Formats: sequence, structure tokens, C-alpha cells
Amino acid sequence: MKTLSTPEAFAPGYRLDKGIHDEMLDETGRVRPHWAHLMQALQQLGPREVGQRHQEALKLLRENGVTYNVYGDPDGINRPWQLDPIPLLLSGDEWFDIEAGLLQRAELLNLILADLYGPRQLIKKNLLPLELIYNHGGFLRVCDQVRLPGQHQLVLCAADLARGPDKKMWVLGDRTQAPSGAGYALENRLAMSRVLPSLFRDTHVHRLARFFQSLRAGLNAIAPGDADTPRVVVLTPGPLNETFFEHAYLASYLGYPLVQGDDLTIRDGYVWLKSLVGLQRVDVILRRVDDNYCDPLELREDSRLGVPGLLEVVRRGNVAIANPLGSGVLENPGIMPFLPGIAKYFLGQTLKLNSIATWWCGQARELNYVLANLERLVIKPIYRKPGEHSVFGHQLSRVQLADWRARIKARPALYVGQEYESFSTVPAMVSGGYEPRQTLLRCFMVARADGYTLMPGGLSRSAPQYGNMMITNQTGGISKDTWVVATEPQHPAIPSKRSGGGLTGHGNALPSRAADNIFWVGRNAERAEGGVRLLRATIKKLFSNPDRDSLDYQLSLETLLRCVTSMTGTYPGFFAEDNEGLLQAPEAELLAIVVDESRAGSLANTVNRMTQSGYAVRDLWSSDTWRVIDEIEEQVSEARRLGKTGLWSMQEQMDQLITTLSAFSGLVMESMTRGNGWLFLDIGRRLERGLQLVSVLRTAFAMPQSEATETRLIESLLDTSDNLICYRQHYRSNLELASFLELLLMDPNNPRSLAYQIARLQEHVGKLPREPSTRRISAEERLLLEASCILNIANIEDLLSVSEAGIREALDQQLSKIYALLAALSDTLTANYFRHGDAPQSLS
Amino acid sequence: MRYRVTHTTTYRYQQAVGLSYNEVRMQPRPCPNQQLLSSQLKITPLPCDYRTRTDFFGNQVAWFSIREPHREFVVTASSEVQIFPQPVQLDFSHGMSWELVREALWNDRSEPLLEARQFALDSPFVSADAELAGYAQASFTPGKALIEAIHDLMQRIHRDFTFDPEFTNLATPLTTVLQHRRGVCQDFAHLAIGCIRSQGLAARYVSGYIETLPPPGKKKLVGADASHAWFSVYLPDLGWMDFDPTNNQLPGDRHIIVAWGRDYSDVTPLKGVIFGGQNHELKVAVEVENLGV
Repeated sequence: MKTLSTPEAFAPGYRLDKGIHDEMLDETGRVRPHWAHLMQALQQLGPREVGQRHQEALKLLRENGVTYNVYGDPDGINRPWQLDPIPLLLSGDEWFDIEAGLLQRAELLNLILADLYGPRQLIKKNLLPLELIYNHGGFLRVCDQVRLPGQHQLVLCAADLARGPDKKMWVLGDRTQAPSGAGYALENRLAMSRVLPSLFRDTHVHRLARFFQSLRAGLNAIAPGDADTPRVVVLTPGPLNETFFEHAYLASYLGYPLVQGDDLTIRDGYVWLKSLVGLQRVDVILRRVDDNYCDPLELREDSRLGVPGLLEVVRRGNVAIANPLGSGVLENPGIMPFLPGIAKYFLGQTLKLNSIATWWCGQARELNYVLANLERLVIKPIYRKPGEHSVFGHQLSRVQLADWRARIKARPALYVGQEYESFSTVPAMVSGGYEPRQTLLRCFMVARADGYTLMPGGLSRSAPQYGNMMITNQTGGISKDTWVVATEPQHPAIPSKRSGGGLTGHGNALPSRAADNIFWVGRNAERAEGGVRLLRATIKKLFSNPDRDSLDYQLSLETLLRCVTSMTGTYPGFFAEDNEGLLQAPEAELLAIVVDESRAGSLANTVNRMTQSGYAVRDLWSSDTWRVIDEIEEQVSEARRLGKTGLWSMQEQMDQLITTLSAFSGLVMESMTRGNGWLFLDIGRRLERGLQLVSVLRTAFAMPQSEATETRLIESLLDTSDNLICYRQHYRSNLELASFLELLLMDPNNPRSLAYQIARLQEHVGKLPREPSTRRISAEERLLLEASCILNIANIEDLLSVSEAGIREALDQQLSKIYALLAALSDTLTANYFRHGDAPQSLS
Repeated sequence: MRYRVTHTTTYRYQQAVGLSYNEVRMQPRPCPNQQLLSSQLKITPLPCDYRTRTDFFGNQVAWFSIREPHREFVVTASSEVQIFPQPVQLDFSHGMSWELVREALWNDRSEPLLEARQFALDSPFVSADAELAGYAQASFTPGKALIEAIHDLMQRIHRDFTFDPEFTNLATPLTTVLQHRRGVCQDFAHLAIGCIRSQGLAARYVSGYIETLPPPGKKKLVGADASHAWFSVYLPDLGWMDFDPTNNQLPGDRHIIVAWGRDYSDVTPLKGVIFGGQNHELKVAVEVENLGV
């Protein structure tokens, strides 16, 4: 037996409060045996090194796009996930007891669920009061008598645990609808095992991957009878949901399509996924949408997150939902005091793991107790509405307490009082040192055909400040990995399949909405890249030209500024009437076009749209691609910060942004599988490049100017399109408009020419999924054929000829025709491939 | 008495509706003093998927979906029922006091009382509050027989409130109805239910039809009738008993019951989610024909 060091050596000042249990130290201040190895290793690394590893872990999580959305906070969307480097450690012996307790609890909750939507014996036999259940918003009468095939009604569940001063683990609450956190737990684990590999291995930590295999098996087990290989989808409320990252992550990890309500439709008594190649039957839905929102016909009619008619399909047994609709009824904290009686009734057992002391106010004695002790209890509504938090009696003023007493007395059955406990503390890394923090542990269970399985570990969350017991992600809790320390070494399970680059996709089952988003990622990525190139060239010209007083310079700059407006679509901009002042001092307008997020067409706005579309199909990007998307977003934020110091400081930022945007296109080009996803991405990109080119050339050259002015313009635009070198190699002559237009319009080998974009679009469009019966060319093909003809028969002399009105009429007209055709192509694609039909409305 | 009820709902849409999902509760449910002789539901366009079931409260529900593009959607429910008059009128001053009934409701665990108890709780449209309790108080004096208290409440509502179809709609909260003393049958039923629940008692919402009589000497107009609503109270010695506050009467053999629930939200005659359509126009016609004894 090793001698255990005192905490002073590695955690000076680690406080221990009397009466509060600490997970690492025992009452005499010595390190508990199962923590010894970890703490010694951390001591050897030293706080600075641990701090560095911590930063690495955070970087890794950030790069993997692990985020959490905080509601009501303008900066709360996609908040990076916080992870403390010190895990919560639990000994194998203790875990054995926890496991037995949690599995019993899951079994019990499952029986209660089956009873409440079945015979309701518990109510008839007075084991559960009718008012406790019937007053709960999660008791869905429309789900009465609906059953999943198989033994288990409750497929997934989670329990929040904490250790009280009496050293026992208590269950604080149950999550039975769509428990979140398992995906975050897995990401935490991956990050920890990357930054502390040897430590992790030597501590013999139980692995998590098997839990997810069980989840897959569990979902297969509930599929309707006739499905050989069931199609499972993950139903998410969408990118604004607080745990959207996790929805996308789980979908990708498990290999299921991530869908929103309008990706699904009900037909002939079945659920179908609207994919690019038509409807595909769905057998199992892993839902992350609250049950009340799942069917606007029979549940909340104002819901836009669900699928009208879904409940009827469930009723017919043609689709299985995990967890079943109505399972939210079990999240009622008022059920907890009745669990011992129910355990006895159903299982003939006593509860192995206790719930925290809870008094349901629907009973006279309990009500009186709660009213009399309100200042030291936690008040919870039996049915928690989104955004509602527990109320801590000791934080209330006398007026507020009186207020709450009146509220409880008016509707006693709707509230419980709960014991307020000081949970045990776990060391957390705080500004380079270790400090104790109250910690909660969320554990996850899944039902397989042969019974429940518990994830060996879970998601621990600690309070942001010492003594704070309100630990939620919404209020700044910090997560921890959870290590169940085995006595034997653990064998690694099969690694995650999410590796490599590019888009994984689901073959043909790509939902139409996903294709829509990918298309817009392509368009906006290109729009951003084209925009930033032109802006960079314009700024360069603005700041670095030696002969700023010459007329050529002035006129070419003005034209370039107008090109910025037309290419970004930020009208009226430099086209505004009375724009003399604007053209003389364009800095403010240019700056706005870079950083003003609220302005449609600005760089910040475009990148924002691109990342939003990208985020909505988060499950389809590889971690490498996501890292680059993240970096683009970061650079634009940086540009917005720098914006305050003026346009000049922006140039380096723009260089970097161009590099990152190119990295994105390169990564997509090089490592994305050439499926339908890639096709739509590249169509979006080519289409946008074509549109941008056409609008810039029209703005710049439809109105003829002096040769000197046009030469300067050509130089800037060649720089913009990365074609200066190419041009010099080709023509080795002075810059002249005819060869410039030849290069940018007609050259089939120049990847930046219009001809090249149209040729690629023609190839892509030919590969799009179509109804097999149609023999004629598609609408998309027709539009492109027309554009290609216009381009092919055009000749440079005609294009350059100036009409009596003093403009290059042929150039202007042909370019505007091509522009209209490309715009029509975008609309046609949208109508044929992305339309989800009209939004549903409820009849009244 | 026998009746034929024809209830026609027509939606006209500004643009075509390509897809719809609907639920209909228009078929009279079986109950002790009512027998369903025949019933049919006619839907145009023809649904591509149609199922019926019994809901949580025992009402008949038809679920269907229409996939044919249409500008007009018509649902016609025609039913023939035989109504047996409710049992003899009682001497209202007898019977259990409302306090005793309340006592039984919250403590007796026999199946009918447990079944009744769910109708003492708040529901989506009816939350018992202090205002409702305040209005109810005058009818619930100590020791009064429950049936007498309810009868008194019904009479007061009839006296104090004005029938005004222009004033309220489905979204009008009960407090507004109480404040302005105006509303329609739905509001009065909800109001009475709220008052009764505020006293810790159980009351449920009943939807159906009533045979209206034309003014003397005039012929009855086709389609002049309407859906109707009233409420029902559980009396431990008699079972559920209906009261119609709009007409200030105990339903006899002129009320036809379709469905019941905690409030209107449980018995909405026609619900739907449509794709397309834009704006719509709604027309409802009800005809109650007396077929004699």
C-alpha cells in the first residue's frame, strides 16, 4: 500500500468545510484510495502542465464544435462547451451499488409508464394520487392505451445524482422524455483521453462506447415487426435548441439521419422521410423534441416542430418513438415520495437508491410541512415549463416567501417542496489551482431487449462558484468527465466511426432540407470568398496608390466601389444618388460592408448565413471541415472587433480569411464523398461564382471608359480573381479588355471563368436524382443550355462594340440574360429539390 | 323522442389545399338516456386514410387524411338518435349537501367517484380562481343540497349573463366573460364548470345539439340550428346530471349529446392541419329534425 500524500503537496489551500462531504478527501484530510493514482499523477504533471492539458482539451472540444446554446443570451448561441480537467472518480465497489439502484429505478419507471397509459392500477389502488398525475402537463390523454412493441415502454432514461452530507447518493430527478447529455459525456471522454492518455489508461476507467452500441440495439428492438433493417432517424427541434450540437453528434455517431419535423410526412399510415430521391419509410424515431410538440393535430397545435398525424401512426404501431410520447409524465418530482410504495407493489422490493426527500403539496400534512419550512426547502412545480428553474427558499425575501406560500396554497397539487442539501464537493481547476465545487452526476440508461444497461460513467457538472447548488448548463455549470475506476484494465471498444474528412452523408437518404442547407453553404462560402477578394483589392487600391490625384485612378476606384456594391448586393451603396461624398470618402461604407452583421450582403452577414446553414447540417461535416468553418466564423468576429480601429487594420485579417475560405473549398473538394451532398455544395458554389462574375463585369465595363481607366480596373479585377499571373502567362502583353474578357468569360480551362462554371453546372445538374420516367431534358438543364449557347455564340468584338447611346449594349444584354438564367436555375433547384411544401396551418 | 341531426361544416380555401389531417368528433356517443340508431360521416374530397377510435373520455373520433388537392372541404355528419327523458324531477332541497359530496369526491376511492374526480381539476380552458369562486359563493351556502346549489347557479348565470355571439370567440378568457357578463353557450358552460370546480366539486363539459322551435306560426328554417354546449355534474346518489345554463333548463328529451370532456378542448368537433390554402372561409350548418316519438 502506497503512502497517500496530504493534499497540501498538490492542492495548497484546498478547503474542506465541516459537514460537507468531499469526494477526494476523507474526514481526516487524506486522499481516498481510488483518487490516489489520479492525484499523484496530476501532482507529477504540476499545475502548469495540467492547465496546459486543460487548454488543449478545451481547444479540442471547440474544434469539434461542441457547443451549448444558452437561451435569452445574445452571445449564448453556440457557447463553447466547458470542461473541467479533473474528473469525478467513483470506485468500482460504489458503482456496483449505484448501478443496481439505477437499474431498479429504470425498471420501476418503465412499469409506472406502462401502467399510467394502460390499466392505471396505481391510481385505483391509491399508490399514486390522481391529482398528481392528471394535473401534470406531461400526462397526455391522447396517448392512452398506446404501447411500444416489446417489454420496455421507457427506452432511455437519465437520473441526476448527488451525494448528501450523509455520504449516500441521492436521486435528485429523473429525465424520461429525451434525456440530453450522453453525447456530451462521450465528447468529454474523447477529449480527456486525448490530453491525458496514459493517466486515463492506468486508472482503468470503464469505457463508454458499449453504451452506444446498446442504444443502437435498443432502438432496433422497438422497430415495428415487419422492418428487417429498420430505418432510424434522430428528430431534432433544430439548430436553435440548447443541445442541438448533441443531436447532430449522436446522429452522426450512430449513423442515423438528423431530421426536423418538416423532413417527415405521414402517408398511408406510415412515417416517411422526404429525401432527395423521394419518400423513404421511417421505422424508429429517436426524438429530441418534447412530446407536446410532436403532433400539431392532436397535441399542441401551435407547434411547428412536429409532424401532423404522427400520433395516429404510433397508435397503429407503424412507427416506434423513443421515448414514447407521453413519457414526460415521469419527470414529475411529485412521484418520488411514492416510489417506495410502488417498488413494493410492482417488484416486492425496497428502493435501493433513495430519492431526495420530497413533499408533494397535494396532501394536507405535506402541504403544511412545506409551508412551515419553505425558507429551507427547494420549491419545484410538478410540471416544469421551459426556462423555469427551481426556487431556493433560503434565497427568498420575506415578501417573496409570502408570495410563494400564497401561490402554493392556491394550487397545492402543482408544487413540491424538496430538501435542500449540501452536495459533496469535487476538486475543480480554478485559476491554476484546485478548489472544491459542488457536483451533480447525470447517469444514462437504455433498454435493450434483455433489460436496462447503465452507461459506466456519465456527465458530471459542477457549480461555477463554491456553495452554489443550482447547477444547470443554462446557468453556467461546468462539466466534468466521470471515471468509474475498475480494478482490472479495460479493453478499448470499437473506435468512433467519425473520422477522416469530408461529408459522410446517408447516401440517397439525404433529407431535402439538408440538401437545401448544403446548397446555401456552397453559395455563401463562395459569396464570402468573392466578396472578400474584391474588398481586399479595393482597400488595397484605396490605401496604396501613389498617384491618387490622377483622374484614371479616381475613375477606376469609383467603378471598383460600384462593383463592390453590385457584387455584394448592398444597394444603394456606391450607386446612391448624390454619392459624391460617399465616393470621396468610402471608408465607412466599405467597413460596414465588411463588419455590419445586420446588413444583408455584408461579409459578416454572409459568413453568418453560411455557418448557420452549415450548423443546421452539423451531422454531415467531418471534424476537420467543422474546424475550418469554426475558424472562418472566428476570423469574422475578429474582423468585427478590429473594425473599430478602422479599415486599414482589416487587410491582414482579410488575407487570413481568404486563406481559410480557400482551405474550406479545398477540404470539400479533396475529401468529400461525391454524393448528392457534394453535388449540391458545388452547384451552390459554381452558381454563386457565375453570378458574382457577371454582375462585376457588367458594372465595370458596360459603360466604356478611357483605356487608362479600364487598364487599372482590369488589373484590380485580375488580382481579385486570382488571375493576374494566369493572364500574364497567357497573353504576355499589356492588359487589354478583349483578352481579359476572353479569359474571364470564354476560357474553358480557367477555373474562374464563366464558361467553366457553366460547364461544371451542366455536369452536376445531369447527375441530380430525377424521376426515372422523364426522358426530356430537365428544367435545370434547359436553363444552363441556354446560358451556354449565349456564351458560345458571343464574340468579343460584338461585346466590345459601343452603341449610339454610348454603352456596350451587347455586353450588357448578354450578361444580364445570363444573370437571369442563373438566378432562374437557383429558383428551379429550390422548387424541385428543396421545397418542403407549404407550412402547415391549423384549421379553426 | 327520435331525432335526425345533420351537421355540415364547409371550408372554402383561397388556394388549393394539397394535404390535410383531420379529427372529427361529431358522432353522438352512447349514453344511458340516448341510443344511436344510425350515423354516417360524409367527407369530400374522399380521404385516402380513415380510422375511427374511442378517445380517453369515451367519445367517438374519426381520424382521416386527404391527399387530393381541393379548394373546398365538406364534412357532413348525419345521425339518428332516440332520446329517453332523464329520470323524474326531484325535490331539489333533498339530497346530499355539496360539502358532503365534496368530502366523498376527495376521499372515496370507488371507481365512479375516482372517475368523477378528474373533472374537479383545472383544464386547458377552465382554471378555477378566486373570481369564479367569488361568483359561485352565493349559490353554495352552507349545508345546501348540491343539486339545489347547482340549480341556483344555473339560474343565476341565465339571469346575470347576456347571450351575445358577437362578444366572444374561442380565445376569450373566462375572466372577460365574467367581467362583461356576456357570451355564448360555450362560455356559460365553461363559467359554470369553473364555478363548480372552485368549490372543489366535479363538472364536465358536454357538447351536442338542441332542438329549437320556430316562433309560433312560422316554419322552421333548415340549417338554423347550431351546435350547443352545457355541463354535467356528478351526484353520488344519482350519477351525472346535465344542466343547460344558456336555456336555464335541465335537459330533458330535446338535448342530443355528442361528446363530453373537461372542457371544449377535449371535444372540438373538427380539428385539422392543412398544407396550402392560405385564407379560408368557414360555414357551419346544423339541422335537428324531430322524427316523433
